[in-house]
Amino acid sequence: MGLHNGDKMMRYEEWSKLARKASKRSLWMVHFCTGCGAIEMPPVMTSRYDMERFGIAPMATPRQADVLLITGYLTVKTLRRVIQVYEQMQSPKYVIAFGSCTINGGMYWDSYNTIKHLEKYIPVDLYIAGCMPRPEGIINAFLELMKLIDEGKARGWERYQKYYDKYKENQRRVFNFEVKEEEKEEKEQKREKNEEH
Amino acid sequence: MDMIGIAIKITILIAYAIIGTCTGLLFMGIGRKIVARVHNRVGPPFYQNFIDVAKLLSKKTNISHGWIFDLALLFSISGILLTLLFLPIGGVQLLSTDGDAFLVLYLLAIPSLGFALGAGASGNPNAGVGVMRALVMMLSYELPFVITLIALMIYYDTTSLATIVRMQSINGIKSWAITMPPFMIAAFAADMALQGMLMEQPFDIPVAPHEIASGPMVEFGGKYLGSLMLYKAIALVAETTLFVDLFLGGGVVAHGNFAFVINFIVWLALIFLLFALSILIAASFPRFRIEQAFGFYWKYEAIIAAISLIWVYIMVIK
Amino acid sequence: MKSIELLGKGEEMHGRAYIKLSADEIEESIKKLKENGFNHFVMLSCVDWLDKGKFELVYHMWNYEEKEHAMLSVDIDRNNDVMKSMSHLFPQIETYEREIHEMYGIKFEGNNRLTPFLLENWPHDPPMRKDFDSKKFVKQMYESIPFIEGDENEGI
Repeated sequence: MGLHNGDKMMRYEEWSKLARKASKRSLWMVHFCTGCGAIEMPPVMTSRYDMERFGIAPMATPRQADVLLITGYLTVKTLRRVIQVYEQMQSPKYVIAFGSCTINGGMYWDSYNTIKHLEKYIPVDLYIAGCMPRPEGIINAFLELMKLIDEGKARGWERYQKYYDKYKENQRRVFNFEVKEEEKEEKEQKREKNEEH
Repeated sequence: MDMIGIAIKITILIAYAIIGTCTGLLFMGIGRKIVARVHNRVGPPFYQNFIDVAKLLSKKTNISHGWIFDLALLFSISGILLTLLFLPIGGVQLLSTDGDAFLVLYLLAIPSLGFALGAGASGNPNAGVGVMRALVMMLSYELPFVITLIALMIYYDTTSLATIVRMQSINGIKSWAITMPPFMIAAFAADMALQGMLMEQPFDIPVAPHEIASGPMVEFGGKYLGSLMLYKAIALVAETTLFVDLFLGGGVVAHGNFAFVINFIVWLALIFLLFALSILIAASFPRFRIEQAFGFYWKYEAIIAAISLIWVYIMVIK
Repeated sequence: MKSIELLGKGEEMHGRAYIKLSADEIEESIKKLKENGFNHFVMLSCVDWLDKGKFELVYHMWNYEEKEHAMLSVDIDRNNDVMKSMSHLFPQIETYEREIHEMYGIKFEGNNRLTPFLLENWPHDPPMRKDFDSKKFVKQMYESIPFIEGDENEGI
């Protein structure tokens, strides 16, 4: 086309800058509220705090959404669903983790069943600290995320692609797949013994 | 037919597509603002939907579910564009045949079928439920709409949309169909049918986000959802234009050399008023269940439309 | 209180009847209370008394006419944690027994649905037992998983 490679890169940079400008003013959110904190969402969406004025809208399915908002603690069981939802979303995609429990386990720091650090399993772009954070905190987090997107710093989805093996390894460890295989072997051995008898 | 004529038609077609899309997106943005004001909120800026479409079209991954899924969107968009060509806009109609009033009804069904194809290809159960609901909704609102259309055809003794518009524009506003008592009732029935066509609130059963996760659109994301929003914007313009053509004289108020500009502005104002009315209804009503919507259309709306049909028939016989 | 009169033992605690029973008596007692107006089985709970070396199973029942809450308590040995299933008396007991089997490891004879219920892929000891070291488990299970390296803002 007669364009130098550098020109192409420049043009790509300009386009992606434009795309980021559009993307930061239209953040569609799917909220994953199996822990506590779901009650903070209705005031944010409705007339009191009205997040639609920033172009943020709740979406029905992960396919349509850009932001995954995870509120409160996650157990091993819900983490599996979070990862499914996250992988169904279409990049560029961002994750906001809400509440102390997603940062270091919060009040469930010694619980046998809740995961402690969410960012070991999926990349988190932004944390909202507090137990519970107020609706202003959520609005503020979204504004902060907009700033990060504009500066090109919200790149969790690229991290997930780059370190995919490591994330998968961590997820596999927490889901106990190895132990399960051992168990299967044990069961098979028992079955064989029973057949021998 | 010479090449220049074809070139002009293609240019106008592209202009129509762009005008339709921009108007639709602008109206959708204003509609969101109106709903927000009704809810006592600030609401998004009026250009929000342009940003949304730009963002969706710039998404990096776009998951497809096979070639039927890809083609279904083209099916919907081309169907609605073809409909727009057959509709007189400000008195100007690009394509016309005898009986195009019937043809438009058939063309309006194409996008729904496209939806059904795409949703079926995605294989999501929510999409299947949504498509079933959409087809039942189409069956419901078509009955009162067709009856009012027949009443108009009997009164004006034609099946051509252009003739209906021309007859209504002879004396300006005074000769609009909606000024006559039987057509006032018919216009009410047709407006309710329009609410169903636009899938606005009491009749947004097919896309109910809280029940079936936005129905047929459940697997659409990225560029696919962006194209779907473009389709929705054009559909909004086409469906309101159909109502304006049938009852409000197609917005034709002026005749002469530069009348097209005035007529175009009047048409724009009229479709905006219709859309604003439908948005206000949507903002103040909750959602019907599917059998309630079906009953509403086939019992009350069909009876109202039938009354206007009989009234018109008696007027014509005299 | 009616349940104490019916079973002939037990005491009143904070407006509720607390009745200590042995493992053999429990089936007859639930049957008797069910026939005499205690037709709501509220829940089955379990307490681990590590120092006494026993599990305490508490069957909570409610009488709507008398507005009376009866707690039937049974002690079972911690080393021989087997109990007869009561799910034929009230069907909802089956679910409570599943949960207690998963969380405390108590086996209920006659309940065929003691399958994994709330925990996901759980090969370890039952977590609600007092001798389950939660802090040690968290250290082994969650704290040993490493953070993903690399710069926060790093892209591809």
